[in-house]
Amino acid sequence: MDRIECQWCKAQNEPERTSCNTCGAPLDKRNIVSDSGWTEAPRLRDMTEFRFSSSTCQIEGEIVPVAELALSQGDSVFFEHHVMLWKEPHVPMSAMNTGGGRRMVGGMPHIMSVAHGPGRIALSRDATGEVVVLPIHPSHEIDVREHAFLAGTHSLNYSFVRIKGLANVLHGGSGMYMDRFITQNEQGLLLLHGYGNVFQKTLQPGEKILVEPGGFLYKDSSVQMNTVKQTFKTGMLGSHNMFLAEMTGPGRVGIQSMYVHHGTE
Amino acid sequence: MSTPSYTCPWCRIPSEGADATCPHCGAPIDVRAKVSKSGWAEQPPIRDMARIRFNRSTCQISGTYVPVAEMKLDQEDSVYFSHHVLLHCDTSVRLDMMKLSGGFNRVLAGMPLRMMTAQGPGFLAISADHPGETLAVPLPANHAIDVVEHRFLVATRNVAFHWENSGIWYTTQSGDEQEWHYPLGQTMDRFTAQGGPGLLLLHAPGNTFIRDLQPGERILVQPGGLIYKDRSVRMFLHFEYPHGQYWFSSARWQAKAVWLTLQGPGRVAVQSVFERPELVGSVRSTSGSTTQYW
Repeated sequence: MDRIECQWCKAQNEPERTSCNTCGAPLDKRNIVSDSGWTEAPRLRDMTEFRFSSSTCQIEGEIVPVAELALSQGDSVFFEHHVMLWKEPHVPMSAMNTGGGRRMVGGMPHIMSVAHGPGRIALSRDATGEVVVLPIHPSHEIDVREHAFLAGTHSLNYSFVRIKGLANVLHGGSGMYMDRFITQNEQGLLLLHGYGNVFQKTLQPGEKILVEPGGFLYKDSSVQMNTVKQTFKTGMLGSHNMFLAEMTGPGRVGIQSMYVHHGTE
Repeated sequence: MSTPSYTCPWCRIPSEGADATCPHCGAPIDVRAKVSKSGWAEQPPIRDMARIRFNRSTCQISGTYVPVAEMKLDQEDSVYFSHHVLLHCDTSVRLDMMKLSGGFNRVLAGMPLRMMTAQGPGFLAISADHPGETLAVPLPANHAIDVVEHRFLVATRNVAFHWENSGIWYTTQSGDEQEWHYPLGQTMDRFTAQGGPGLLLLHAPGNTFIRDLQPGERILVQPGGLIYKDRSVRMFLHFEYPHGQYWFSSARWQAKAVWLTLQGPGRVAVQSVFERPELVGSVRSTSGSTTQYW
């Protein structure tokens, strides 16, 4: 039987489906790719539903989308506790210590909330944008900028990596830490909130691209990220410095179109 | 005279159904209601340039990101609003102040003490300052709703406005210091249509979701996400302590959540953008709450 491959997550779907069962991307629309090779993350249709484990996720709204999770018994999701919009009273909650007192210094939550099925819970961030759904395949690692993570399924392992180099911390625009998500055996699902629109590019080995540090959203852990200084002369003696994030492939890089510009001197 | 053949599912007011949008609240007629599996109905955005009728005047909603409510006021009609939402108005529109009594508490709560009134004839435009949706809430005569602070945009003059203490608070103790928290704000705005139907416009950042709670049905929402509720909906705080690795685990205490329990019967509306809840210290006293230790 013919199957439809999702252009975003490459999952196989039944031919009658109009949205991907794994990531919710519309199947009846082609990927939108700019001339320079950036692919626009699929805008999830209002009320799109997709599955993970035995549970489902429904995306509602298009200005500040809400991810409504219907958790089955035995399934759970983790998230920063301030993204909860509503929940059914009987949904059990637990706290997951990330073991990161250092993260408090970086202004990041060091405790994650965990919601367990059965029951429903809804999550949303605090600004206009879109929900990006990234199915994470076994042994895959992905790094995400601070405060962009909306929810991860129970099969994902959560950790964080310190951004190396003082210049990168001070001028990188991504803070001190990046969230790292790894999955071991079972496929996991990661939901991010991108501010504005989200674009993704797959870099070839050794291929480089410079991006605004505030616009960086996520990357495969195989992608190296460094901060580079660009100096512009302004007259006889003056100069102007600008810091950009240099991404080196191989792997995927995701950026967002709404960001805070950091580090111009 | 034609008989009403359509009842709008959003404002529940019958109309002829001859237009593409409800003449009372602007909701599109020709689209299917989007209801999530859990029962929240997404308030359909008012279409660009849709018109709403009230008394002898009309209100046209223009724009989609930060919509503008442009009112064509008849000379017999007037509206009131907070002065900071006025975008433009004709010189023929008579602007005045609407004094509100007993406003000292409101000043303390950071809310506007005075409202402006605008009397037709002429055009007047109002807009808020966040991407979001304009909600048109037509109020039948003598019907009242409670609206969270800073959501109000404009109302017709026959809609009585007063505020009441929200009655939702808790205190925390840190050392010798006691702190008072008002997750809904100190006051809530109450709007009541008097002497006939009235129109109330609100602005909600993000997307808006509506739910009609059955008698006794409960749902937990972020206090900062509430937009409005029917007077019949009861509300009280709910503190939730997640299960930690150990009973004394710091995670358990630091990740506790402050919820607002809404109990039916009645309609509630929430927005998808909400103020991030504060990290809560040790709770000492509350306005009435339930607690769950997982």
